[in-house]
This record gives sequence, structure tokens and C-alpha cells, in this order.
Amino acid sequence: MNNQIIKLEGVSIDHLDHNVLDNINLSIKKGEFTYLIGDTGSGKTSLVKSLYAEIKVSAGNINIINYNLNKITKKDIPMLRRKIGIVFQDFQLLTDRTIRENLEFVLKSTGWKNKKDIDLRIDQVLKKVHLKDSKEKMPYQLSGGEQQRAAIARAILNKPEIILADEPTGNLDPYISQKIIDLLKEINLTGTTVLIATHDYEVIKNNKSRIIKCSNKNLQEISIEEL
Amino acid sequence: MNKSKNKTLNRKIISSSASVIISLSLVLFVVGLLSLALINAQKLSNYIKENIGFSIMLKENTNQFEVKKFNKSVDAMPFTKSTTFVSKDAATSELESDLGEEFVDFLGFNPILASIDVKLNPDYSNNDSLSVISNNLIKNSLVHEIYYQKNLISRINNNVKKLSLFLITFCIILFFIAFALINNTIRLSVYSKRFLIKTMRLVGAQNSFIQKPFILDGLYQGMYSAIFAIFMLMGSIQLVQAETASLLNITDLKIIGLVFILIFIIGIILSSLSTYFAVKKFINVSESELYN
Repeated sequence: MNNQIIKLEGVSIDHLDHNVLDNINLSIKKGEFTYLIGDTGSGKTSLVKSLYAEIKVSAGNINIINYNLNKITKKDIPMLRRKIGIVFQDFQLLTDRTIRENLEFVLKSTGWKNKKDIDLRIDQVLKKVHLKDSKEKMPYQLSGGEQQRAAIARAILNKPEIILADEPTGNLDPYISQKIIDLLKEINLTGTTVLIATHDYEVIKNNKSRIIKCSNKNLQEISIEEL
Repeated sequence: MNKSKNKTLNRKIISSSASVIISLSLVLFVVGLLSLALINAQKLSNYIKENIGFSIMLKENTNQFEVKKFNKSVDAMPFTKSTTFVSKDAATSELESDLGEEFVDFLGFNPILASIDVKLNPDYSNNDSLSVISNNLIKNSLVHEIYYQKNLISRINNNVKKLSLFLITFCIILFFIAFALINNTIRLSVYSKRFLIKTMRLVGAQNSFIQKPFILDGLYQGMYSAIFAIFMLMGSIQLVQAETASLLNITDLKIIGLVFILIFIIGIILSSLSTYFAVKKFINVSESELYN
């Protein structure tokens, strides 16, 4: 793997018995900021899900953070996900508890025991996403942008090596979308690899970076001009 | 801080699913009633059988002393629950009051005999035992005749058997229904949280970490439900106690205590186990199955 954090070789992915990606290859280096674009149904989400072992690939080899996902056991999946920060279009916060409790759940479930350390880490990430004042609020009391920032705070709690964001700006207006991308870029500057699946071309044009396009069951690297 | 704690507490109370506790309490209450009914079924059967008996018709002009001695010897026999001596005069006046006329004057003699009415212990309340008892007693020189209603006794025994069988079958079926209801109620409650479980999996929580709070909730729900069910049972026992004091054993503290402990254990175990299996199921389902 060397410097590569993601490596796909001859990978095919099926979704509901329908082949969406066929014999694809991809390699992403540590610290890269990459967009994964494509039309609805082109396989972006399926590819992201296969990277955090939510769906199995039907053929090929898939490696992420030194985990061979072809051989990964059910027991190892939580360990893998602790090294990945996942951000979803619909935020997927735990709706029955406050933002602090959401973050506390992640830390406790990943082995944090000391109350002071937990509180300190929560304060650190909430400060980073500018949500310190919303610590005790329930998710439904926050706007869409704030909820997405809370989701990003959750994703970076354990200092992941990579952040996988599936349509993180899909439910947000352009101004808030830009704020979210700014935040992800800021996190990327600390060395965290970021892969964003999106079809929000405005965001891509304003924040130039590597672009991979899903189309015709294949992956293709394109330039900003080809968008 | 206190405000936030209160908010958390309120939320936890609400989310502890009052509806689950109510459903569980009602089911456990029914289980408790059935347990009491089952435990008392034998007592009920004995109560009916103890009312089966026979009459020893004594010969005319028997010596009172010998009759008393004979009565005592019958009393001491293992088949006897109780005996009542009915004198010739008492039997005559009872029959006259039943008929509404003085038949002795009409007949010119009194055909009624003194008798000893024997109530049987439940184990002997059947025609086979009665036949043996009757054959032995008739040998006594004081005894004129042994009288009992063969058909009635066999009918009572048949009906008691049928009733016991029906009660046991009914109880077993109701126990299964109760368990299915508890399981279903908890599954529905966990089902409503399936997307939370999915999110917990996605953030890297291990299965045991996800299951733990659910099982603890299930345990508390089982405990609260059992306590409510026990209170309802206590109320029901108070209500029916006066009516059934001679029939049922519901004043027996040992039996009541046993039923209450049983309800408590069933409540906790069933609730925790159902929660464990329901959460396990939703941890393992694929995303597409979550929407089905």
C-alpha cells in the first residue's frame, strides 16, 4: 500500500442484484482531497459503502487503511470504522440524545473511559466545527448545516485517517455547503484523507481538487474543465 | 447542569416506553392469574370430590352406644373426611318438612332409618373405592344398607377430569400467547429504533456495546412491569378473597409469594431475552432489510 490509503483492483459492485460498477481500479494517496462525482445511480454511494464494509464487492480486491476488505471478518468491521470518519447526506445523528451525548457515545464505544478526557475531546471537536454552544441541544433543535457540522465533529472524534463523506452538502443551501466544504478542507490540511461523493458541481468548481467520475459502470479521472 | 440532567431523565422516562411497560404488566398479570389458577386447580378438584359421599343406613333398634362406637371407627378410617350421624327422628322430620305432610300418620309406621353420612377424602371419591368400602362396611351387624349414587359419582369424576384437562390446556396455550405478546411488544419497540442501531454500527460501536443499554432498558422494563403486575394481582386477590376463601388457596402466603417471585423472574428474563434477540437481529440485518 505504501503511501496509498485506498486501493481498488478489478472491483465490481452490485446493488440489489444489479451491477453498478464493473472491474474498476482506484488508488487514493494519504492526505489527498478527492471528489467522487457522477449521476444519481451511477454507483457513488455503493462505492463509498463498500469502502466502510457496509456492502461486499462481487469481484476484485479492495484495500483501505491496511484492511483487505475481501477478507475482513464481522468482528473487525467496528475496528475498521473507528479509523474512518463517515459523514452522510442525512446526518444520521442519534436523534434520541443531545449532541454531547452523540459524541460521548462514539468515544465510549471506541474505548474512551476517562470522563475528563472525553469532555475535553468533545469540547475540542465542537470548537473546531463551531458548535460549542450547541453541545446540550438535541439534533432536531439544530439547522441542517449545524447537524452536518455535528456529524463532521463525530467523524473526526477519533482522529481518523480518512473521512468518507457521502453527499455531505446534499441537503444544504450553497452558502452552508461552502462552509461544510471549508471545514472538510481544514480537516484535510491536518493530514486526513478526504473522499467526498457529490453531484454538487458548484462546490467542486469553487474548491478545486482531484475528481473521479463514476459513469457507465466505470471510474475515470477528469479535470475541472471536463465537468 | 441540573436542568440538563432533568431533561435527560425526563427523556429517559418517556423513552422507557410506557406502552411497553403497560403491555408487559398486563401480560404478566394474566400469567400470574393463570399460575394461581393452576396451583389452585388441585384444590378445586379436591373441593368438589370432598363433597362426594355415601350414607350408611343403620338397622332398626340398634344400641346407641354401639352406634357411637361404630361411628367413631368409621371416622378413623383413611377414606373418611367427615361423618355426620342422622338419627331416625331427625331424618323423619327433615323428610316431613321436605314433603310438607306427616307421612308417618298416613303410613301408620315409620320406614326411615337412622344413618351415618360419610364424606370421602378425594383419593377415595370414585366408584371402585366406594365398592370396596361398601363391601367391607356391609359386613357389620349394625349396617342395613350402604347407599350412594353410582352414576352421579362417575359423572362428577369425569367432569372433574375434563375440567382439569381443559384448565391445563387453556393455561399452556395462554402462557404461549403471553410469551409471544411480550416478545412481539419488545420487538416492535426495538424495531422503532432500528435506524439508531444502524447508526451506532456505522460509527464503529461493537455489537455488545450497542446491545448493553437496550438489554438494561429491557431489564428495567421487565422489573417495572413485574412490579405493576404484582400490584394488580394483589388487588385482584383482595377482591375475590371473600368469595373464594373456602374454595381457593389464595390466602396461602407461600403460594402467593411463589407466584409473585415467578412473575418477577419471568418479567425480567423474558424482557431481557426478547430485547437481546431483537437487537441482535437488527444489528445483523442489511440496510435494504431495514426498510422492509
